[in-house]
Amino acid sequence: MIFPDVFQLSLRNLREAKLRTSLTTLGVSIGIASLVGMVSLGVGLQELTVGQFKKSGLFDTITVFSAGQGFGRNARARGARRNSTASTNDPARPEKPPEPLDDKAIEKIQALPNVKEVYPNLRMPVEVKYENFSEFVTAVGVPLSSRGEGVFQKITYGSFLKNETEEACMLSLDFVHNMTSEDPKNLVGKEITLSYATAADLAGAVMGGSLGQMTIQRTEKKYSIVGIVEREPGPNFGGGFFSSIMVPLKKIQEAGFQDFTNPQAFLRGLSNKPSYSAVTVKVKHLQDTEDVEKKVKDLGFNAFSINDALQGAKKAFIILDILLGLVGSIALAVASLGIVNTMVMSILERTREIGVMKAIGAGDGDIRKIFFVEASLIGVLGGAIGVVLGWTVDKIINFGANIYIQRQGGFPAQMFFTPWWLVAGGIGFSILVSLIAGSYPASRAARVDPIKALRHD
Amino acid sequence: MTAIVESVDLKRHYPMGHSMVRALDGVSFTIQAGEFVGLLGTSGSGKSTLLNLIAGLDRPTSGTLKIFDQQLDQMSREALSQHRRKNVGMIFQSFNLIPTMTAFENVTLPMMFSGVPRPERERRGVELFESVGLRDRQLHRPAELSGGEQQRVAIARALANSPAVLLADEPTGNLDSMTAREILEILKQLNEREGKTILWVTHDTEMASKYIQRSIRLRDGKIADNGISSSSPSGGIA
Ligand SMILES: Nc1ncnc2c1ncn2[C@@H]1O[C@H](COP(=O)(O)OP(=O)(O)OP(=O)(O)O)[C@@H](O)[C@H]1O
Ligand SMILES: [Mg+2]
Repeated sequence: MIFPDVFQLSLRNLREAKLRTSLTTLGVSIGIASLVGMVSLGVGLQELTVGQFKKSGLFDTITVFSAGQGFGRNARARGARRNSTASTNDPARPEKPPEPLDDKAIEKIQALPNVKEVYPNLRMPVEVKYENFSEFVTAVGVPLSSRGEGVFQKITYGSFLKNETEEACMLSLDFVHNMTSEDPKNLVGKEITLSYATAADLAGAVMGGSLGQMTIQRTEKKYSIVGIVEREPGPNFGGGFFSSIMVPLKKIQEAGFQDFTNPQAFLRGLSNKPSYSAVTVKVKHLQDTEDVEKKVKDLGFNAFSINDALQGAKKAFIILDILLGLVGSIALAVASLGIVNTMVMSILERTREIGVMKAIGAGDGDIRKIFFVEASLIGVLGGAIGVVLGWTVDKIINFGANIYIQRQGGFPAQMFFTPWWLVAGGIGFSILVSLIAGSYPASRAARVDPIKALRHD
Repeated sequence: MTAIVESVDLKRHYPMGHSMVRALDGVSFTIQAGEFVGLLGTSGSGKSTLLNLIAGLDRPTSGTLKIFDQQLDQMSREALSQHRRKNVGMIFQSFNLIPTMTAFENVTLPMMFSGVPRPERERRGVELFESVGLRDRQLHRPAELSGGEQQRVAIARALANSPAVLLADEPTGNLDSMTAREILEILKQLNEREGKTILWVTHDTEMASKYIQRSIRLRDGKIADNGISSSSPSGGIA
């Protein structure tokens, strides 16, 4: 028997029992709709969260710390690993001092494959003066390459730093509000005064106290405001560069500033070359992040990237997706029983017909195929309708929820997301379930004894 | 003459509780190509059982049954369904047309099972309707046809794959005597003109004598009489 004929007979069977076929198909549709709806919610929430990460633009960024410090799991895990090797392999071996994070280290990291650029994270305490206002804040050194990235994707007023040499800065909107009641718009182009301490040669020391061989000198400079930046709500790992005041990285380096916030580094800095509390590494391609991070760790540093945080989040979302999928599958499981029921009913009704077909030459396989195709047609149709249904219901729920959220003063969000693989997967899964549900009825139909089927009139 | 059906000590027993129903109990006979044979016997004598064995719908308990030198009792299920497709055409007392299909779809259905492409099926379908004299009833459903018309459709269906043997189980049982004779005329012509071998199950000895060349009479699952009872000895040798 050729397939188009099998298809034709199956289709005819379905048409003969229109009501039953539509009800069963509707059952499958609802099952698939609930599955697609639930998984869409899982994917949507994931996109929403991961999207926040992605917006930070720091996916291609690794933050490197000296091995003695760093944050979170990495430092702890590293410490634990070191302890365990020490205790098992060589209990007497003294701990190696951590690799210093200095200019030499930056060169080493820069030499790694797929590294685009490396620069130190520099912060410096400054006193900001504007008219009658004066406050101590931490200025952050911003590399020019971070233009358009992370928080700098959008500069609310003015523009990003134009070059490294001019004495220009960007301010956070919050700080501006703090500083003056003027319209922030009008502030762009105005000047503020920054006072900060710099290290100077002994010879150049004029004022301030001496500390070791170094002299701390107070410098005062006028900086013009070129931009005002607003931080968006939500988790923002791109806040690495975000601060009350942001100046060109070069300016902080020029100030010969040593990291006062990190005593270890500070002391090292006093004794020889400057050393940094943290260094930012940018990779050439997003997919290199993990590999480069590993190589940096192999050099003896602690490293952290958003990837790490993301891996954890992704694991949590996989569990969420599975749970939502299971809930959604309940309706589908019920629907698959509907398929079994419909098919068994149809076979009981058509026992005689099956007997006749066998008597005029149908093989067991032909009969099985007819019923199998019948079940999978219900699956295809139910799956397709279900995906559309699920998608529509998602849109409606999302719309309704957003009205509520906005009324509560929240931000509207896309909570459901139906990627193409879910559409294909939904229909595919529907066919799979239908085939499984149809397999028992189909083999039961194939086993019909034609003599018994033909006997009762 | 070549033997087309050959049965040796054929038995079909049904276990019923502690006893055994011996529907067929050692039946041996031969049917030659082109014969029009009547299968006679009282109700319950095993006629339908024998026909079902020849059709390959059932398997014997013991004994051998050969068709075209193929041994049916040793065939796989798939080979048996192929045998039903190619070698035999079945005609029933209650017509057994599929009620949801048109007459034309019923007639072409066996060709679907043997994988004949649609254009060829349709061409042959028209031809078959002509041969049973029902040209203008092709698109009717069985319920819209008279008993005689339904049986003609059933005969056309049995002929679809051009089998050598027709197996008819009381084909006129549900028809009035006039219509019954029309049906039997069609069978007789198929036998005489196309050389079809026909095995016809009937109670009606008197009617049978007008058409058949030979009868096999069953009694309690055994052959009671295997003689020639011929009033039309002309046919058969084609
Ligand atoms: N599946 C079965 N189980 C038990 N006994 C059976 C079965 N099929 C047939 N029989 C018995 O076998 C015997 C022969 O039955 P069969 O149908 O061949 O008779 P028949 O000659 O065709 O009768 P009729 O003229 O009434 O159609 C009967 O006694 C019947 O009861
Ligand atoms: Mg019978």
